[in-house]
Amino acid sequence: MIKVPQTSSTSYLIRQLPTPTAFIDTNYNIVHTSEKWMNIFNNNESYNTASLFTAFPNLSSKWKKELENCFKGNPQPMGIHQAKDIDDQDVWFEWSNAPWYDTNENIIGAIIQLNNITDSVNNELELNKKNLLLKQQAEITKIGQWEYDILDNQLTWCTTTKAIHEVPPHFTPNIENAIHYFKEGHSRNAISMAVFEAQNKGKAYSNLKLQIITATGNEKWVMAGGKPIYHKGELIGLIGTIQDIHDQVEADIKTLDNEKLLRTLIDNLPVNVYIKDTESRKILVNKAECEFLGVKNPEDLLGKSDFELYPSESAARSREEDLLVMNTLKPIIGKETLNIKLDGKETSFLSSKIPLLNNKGLAYGIVGISLDITKLKEKESELRNIINIASIQNKKLLNFAHIVSHNLRSHSANFSMLLDFLKTEKDEDEKNRIIEMLTNASNNLLETLDSLNDVITINTNTNIDKKNINLHNKVITINQHLTGYLLNNRAEIKNTIPEDFKIKSVPTYLDGILTNFITNAVKFKHPDRNSKITLSAIKKNNYSILTIADNGLGIDLEKYGKKLFGMYKTFHDHKDARGIGLYITKNQIDAMNGKIEVSSEIGMGTEFKIFFNDKN
Amino acid sequence: MTKISDITIIDDDPIVVFGLRKLITSTIKCNSIESYGNGLLAYDAIMKKLDDKQPIPKVIFLDINMPIMDGWEFLEAFLKLPITDKIKINIITSSIDSFDKKQWESYKNKSHHVITFNQKPINKIKIEEITQVA
Repeated sequence: MIKVPQTSSTSYLIRQLPTPTAFIDTNYNIVHTSEKWMNIFNNNESYNTASLFTAFPNLSSKWKKELENCFKGNPQPMGIHQAKDIDDQDVWFEWSNAPWYDTNENIIGAIIQLNNITDSVNNELELNKKNLLLKQQAEITKIGQWEYDILDNQLTWCTTTKAIHEVPPHFTPNIENAIHYFKEGHSRNAISMAVFEAQNKGKAYSNLKLQIITATGNEKWVMAGGKPIYHKGELIGLIGTIQDIHDQVEADIKTLDNEKLLRTLIDNLPVNVYIKDTESRKILVNKAECEFLGVKNPEDLLGKSDFELYPSESAARSREEDLLVMNTLKPIIGKETLNIKLDGKETSFLSSKIPLLNNKGLAYGIVGISLDITKLKEKESELRNIINIASIQNKKLLNFAHIVSHNLRSHSANFSMLLDFLKTEKDEDEKNRIIEMLTNASNNLLETLDSLNDVITINTNTNIDKKNINLHNKVITINQHLTGYLLNNRAEIKNTIPEDFKIKSVPTYLDGILTNFITNAVKFKHPDRNSKITLSAIKKNNYSILTIADNGLGIDLEKYGKKLFGMYKTFHDHKDARGIGLYITKNQIDAMNGKIEVSSEIGMGTEFKIFFNDKN
Repeated sequence: MTKISDITIIDDDPIVVFGLRKLITSTIKCNSIESYGNGLLAYDAIMKKLDDKQPIPKVIFLDINMPIMDGWEFLEAFLKLPITDKIKINIITSSIDSFDKKQWESYKNKSHHVITFNQKPINKIKIEEITQVA
């Protein structure tokens, strides 16, 4: 007879069992289930009679063996398995079984009990996940952990900590060698002190930026932190982290170095460098700029605008320029500017203004670079002056060369022509005539050479020795020298120069100038009247101006004005006109940095104004 | 010997005038040789000849550097005169200034007269060559 469990009386009890429980017969049919079981898997009554294998198609086949053993009175654990509950949720259970005995101690089936361990499984999973996360975090941030058990004197390093120290995975650290990895000196002292204080005074430490020397000999920057842990108020160990911050520190050091390099560079550049913000206030100045503005510390200039440093007019101009650069984003490069400081001092600059752009491409200020070219400009102007003088000298020289060659050539041409004639001439009278002409030509040549020599002497005498000379007295002296000449020509001189009037001149030049102008005036007197020469003098604009006026023939200045002081130019058909006097006079006055002006009316007279330079 | 009716020499240097006269007379035959000490004297004389309907010189020897009116000024004035005949104007100079040569070129190209530029010294061969009626 098949043993059939007595169901009716017991089923009520089974229903109330506090754990999910199922009773199956030896045919694996579910006979009874507890209320709890039902709640989890099915509240349908018919479920009760279903086969276990139908209810858990994925699982029950595995258990067949275990259950068979169980039916033999030899139950075995069924393990942990996942199942779906009625809401189709994953649920974890620890399955266990026991033989089901009837009242006669016969095994009539098996009792299956479930222990819901979903929460603990989930916790475990969470823990695993957290550990994994931590590990990854440690790898990414290069933060390693360590734990020190004071009682066992045991130090544990995580893999990242080991990686930071560049030790093999199987390395066993201890507190001594751990400290020893820190670089001798500040780093090792600091960590020793920190660990000591943590152990003995329970003091935590963090953010210690120190250097270690790794097992493979590399120097590394690390950030170390540690904290004591207590159990029931008693210190039992330390935990802490060690972070590899080598790259950051190196980058920081590099940045610092770069900043220092930049600062050294801009401070030692021989140009003024500054940075201004959008309000044209200085936010950076270099040494040269400080020196230029007469302050010792850059702080004295920072935050100040040009309106506080320069006269308002030039400050406004500079501000306008700044705005233009910042608005157009077009730099000003190498512009020549004249800077006027508050004390009125002028400086020529070659200045550049370059817009500083933020990451949106807008200007947040300008960087200015100014090169002081005042000395350069002075030199340039000096040079230009020299070139000017040189070009004037060159012109003079060329002119002189033409004059010389022309005059010498005309004489030599005459010689050669006359000598040609002499060769073939038979007539004695004619021969004598030619020889007489040769003598004349020779005399003319000598005279020409004398005149040229005078001109050369004036122009080559670089050491012009000017003296203070009383002009009034000088005119009297010249008058006395010329007494005979003046009397013969019935000429009269009127000296209206103030008695104390002094000029600066080379004495011999002044003699020549006065004599030349006076004799010229007499030479070119009007045939209808006696010559009358008036000399007067005034001071004006650093010049002493001597005026020599006559009542002579006058000169057609429109025709001859340009040639008046040229060499061998005469404008009167006069036997004494040699055309060299005014040329020499002009050279002498030029040599003394003076000048001549002339005005004339034909038939009325001529007036020469001679400007003697009072300064140099 | 070529025959030239009238020749005028304009030069302020008596030696040059003497030399030119001597060279001309020994080279060619001519009615008359007149000489003037500067441009203005020569110009006035030519004007008078024009007024009197007298023949004007066919060949002129002209110096450049002269007082009162120099060679260029004379040329400037002369070229404005209503003379239809081709006159030969020989500039005789000792100048080596390139300015003078340029002046000559500009006058040469704007006149129907024949203008030559000659540097001193002048010898017989040169005189023969340039003393031809234009």
